[in-house]
Amino acid sequence: MTILDYIHRNALAVPHKPAIIAQDGTVITYADVYQRMRDCDSLPIPLLGESWESDFHLRTTGTTGKSKTVVISQQAVIANSQNLIHAHGYSSNTVFVVAGALDHLGGWSKIFPTLMTGGTLILLDGMKDVNAFFRAMDYDSTHLATFLVPASIRMLLQFSADRLASYSHKIEFLETGAAPISHTDMLRLCQLLPRTRLYNTYASTETGIVCSYNFNDGRTKPGCCGPALLNSQVFITESGTIACKGSTLMSGYLDEPELTATVLKDGCIHTADSGYIDEDGMLHVLGRNDDVINIGGYKVDPVEVENRALAFPGIQDCICIADQHPVLGDTLKLLVRTGGDKIDKKEIARFMAQTLEPYKVPTRYEYVEIINRTSNGKLDRKSYRK
Amino acid sequence: MREEIIGLLDDLLPLVDLESDFLFGELSSLDITTIMMVLSEHYNITLSHEDVTPRNFRNIDSIVEMVQNKR
Repeated sequence: MTILDYIHRNALAVPHKPAIIAQDGTVITYADVYQRMRDCDSLPIPLLGESWESDFHLRTTGTTGKSKTVVISQQAVIANSQNLIHAHGYSSNTVFVVAGALDHLGGWSKIFPTLMTGGTLILLDGMKDVNAFFRAMDYDSTHLATFLVPASIRMLLQFSADRLASYSHKIEFLETGAAPISHTDMLRLCQLLPRTRLYNTYASTETGIVCSYNFNDGRTKPGCCGPALLNSQVFITESGTIACKGSTLMSGYLDEPELTATVLKDGCIHTADSGYIDEDGMLHVLGRNDDVINIGGYKVDPVEVENRALAFPGIQDCICIADQHPVLGDTLKLLVRTGGDKIDKKEIARFMAQTLEPYKVPTRYEYVEIINRTSNGKLDRKSYRK
Repeated sequence: MREEIIGLLDDLLPLVDLESDFLFGELSSLDITTIMMVLSEHYNITLSHEDVTPRNFRNIDSIVEMVQNKR
């Protein structure tokens, strides 16, 4: 079956049921969704392939830290959706509030299991308007579900804990992922939403959705991402990195066969994440074995940031490092050596934003006398890691 | 207070034009969270999601007014 077949089935069974409630409040029924998909007409969700029956293309920085396009087959999308439906319990009653970017796997991947099972999607324009999020949560259902990145969870816990707790009886499940969530926040969520299934998921655009753990299980294992899901296998390589097999994997990077071969070998994706599998068969992620910095789920290659910064007049040397922020978790900091010139950091930031995505532009800037380098002249990144 | 708030926020939001009259439109959700966090800690005030309105974040003066009303 293709995704279109699933939608067709629902369009026949429940033609007038709301399938998608768009950001502007427009309600699109299953009959409408099927019609638009069949005619390749527009929907308020990304359609990056040529049609709904072809492969999908998602942009990512991904496991190698370089921007590229990932090709995801229909079969992989369906396998990912089956993983989520099976593990998280999507049903025709599910009302999924998508509060994250729809061009990022975290939000994008929830479209399909919801529509395949005949549920309802509520699309939001991110979490900028927290009140819009809560208005969505006011929807008349006790089967609400959502995906929130750890930074959004931290924001809700900090500024709206009581309001979030007031939806305890309505939120059936909540998923997080894309970046590590602190154990403190996991425990606080369990306290506020005692009856809600709370999932921490291991996924990437390349591997698909591989593992997931309901941490509202009385144990709340820190850093745990759970066991491999229905269509996935996960194991640890001899070097301690995480590798994944199964039908959720990407087909490859678009027009990049050599790059694809560096991560996809014999039907197995080799990630740069290090981790281990515990006595219960659950995956734990420890961090990354490369220089890539995870900014709220977006992966940043520091070299790309440094190369752009070095093009700014007056900057003689620099290094981009991860900096801890109380709300945002890891943010980017640029240490610069200028040789005496005083440079306005806003000017540097704006210069960098001309060619880099906003999440790749460092938040903080610090002038230093020297940038640490190893004996062979390479940037000594390890010396800046805490 | 206005200059103090600009100084506080400028450090964490280098891409944002804090003097803009369309500030809310320029801010991302993380920018707003950052502003809420910084102001609540620095001025020891309680801010909640109900304070995140286009009116309160219209420009730097409306942010200053919000802080003054919370003290």
